[in-house]
Amino acid sequence: MIYKLLVPGPDEEIEEMRVLEWHGGVGHAFRPGELIVELETHKAVVEVRSAQPGVLRNVLCEAGSWQKVGALLAVLSDDPLELLPESAETMEAWHVAFEVT
Amino acid sequence: MSSEAPRATVKLFFREAIARALTEAMRDDERVMVLGQDVGRFGGSYKEFVGLIDAFGPERVRDTPVAEAAMIGLGVGAAAAGMRPLVSITYMDFLMLGLDPLVNYAAKVRYKTGGQLTAPVVVKTTAGAKGQGVAHSQCIEAWLMGVPGLVVVAPSTPADAYGLLKSALRAQGPVVFVDHKRLFPTAGEVPVDEGSVPIGRAVVRRRGTDVTIATHSYMTRVADEAASRLAAEGVSCEIVDLRTLAPLDVATVCESVAATGALVTLEEGQTACGVGAEISFRVREALPDVRVARIGALPAPVSSNPILESACLPDAERIAETVRRLLVS
Repeated sequence: MIYKLLVPGPDEEIEEMRVLEWHGGVGHAFRPGELIVELETHKAVVEVRSAQPGVLRNVLCEAGSWQKVGALLAVLSDDPLELLPESAETMEAWHVAFEVT
Repeated sequence: MSSEAPRATVKLFFREAIARALTEAMRDDERVMVLGQDVGRFGGSYKEFVGLIDAFGPERVRDTPVAEAAMIGLGVGAAAAGMRPLVSITYMDFLMLGLDPLVNYAAKVRYKTGGQLTAPVVVKTTAGAKGQGVAHSQCIEAWLMGVPGLVVVAPSTPADAYGLLKSALRAQGPVVFVDHKRLFPTAGEVPVDEGSVPIGRAVVRRRGTDVTIATHSYMTRVADEAASRLAAEGVSCEIVDLRTLAPLDVATVCESVAATGALVTLEEGQTACGVGAEISFRVREALPDVRVARIGALPAPVSSNPILESACLPDAERIAETVRRLLVS
């Protein structure tokens, strides 16, 4: 299955976050509990950790870029060779969110 | 709005724009220092002073006790003795405790000494309601506008926070720099190149033809939300962000109102003797026939009950309704 990794939220006062650091490149198989990415809000660093296994397939927001709360950060899949959707719009509309803590 | 070539920008949180202005000013001028509660190792209540103590040391970034009159008194005295302090008063409500040294000494010392002494102090303080009740929510910037010798700035964007703080830290006399609790979660583009924003110049944030909304600080964002709603009804709002409240840039407001024919003033503080009262009078002096309405908080303390808080404060719907009524009057 294909999963979308989203900026956690919603949060009443946060509109968007800055991507600080990815803790694994494309192809990395994340285990449950592993740190995937650190995001920065106006007052804190948010650690996004996997709550399920998954292979990082495509990073849409590199370190230093910004993304809105609830929007797409990256694509993961169960199978490292599973065919990815053609566009981010397709991802947003059809795929389930990758579980994080 | 500008014919200049677009400048390269970087996106910063509001707090980062403040830290950047201070970092550059402290690097350029060793007289610049920071005084306040939790400004040192803690990095400021909104993290707007993070990094300064590491870069410039505890001599220039000093934590103070919870004693606002003493903090501003210290800052004003240090300024008169040749330093350029920024005093951080976390809640604008507690600026009241330090008004004596600010108003009776800092604002008057140049006049009183025939120019032999000046007090180039910046008092940075955070206004606005965000669930913290009657004595941690107030916007009292209008109180300061009638003090000769006092400059008051109130940015609404990270770029203006950066640029106006740079100007304030170079100003000849005391400047009150008013930010807002609800601006700290925001981010915005700031020029990569170092620079400043001149004190005393308003800016048109949104172009429109039917009505001018003159506002400042966080309410600029609420005005924009109202303008978007009204645009869907075919009403076109021009938004003037005052940026500096003393001295007021009446010319920019008048230029806009002369074209739209109607003025709505908008502030989060009280309307009685408020920013809008001053603006509308001065605009009417120049343009006697324009229609005017003003919006501010209801005449009640701001509650810590969130329903009562939002009932008291201007929101997009109240602004839109005021504009609709003004335009049919």
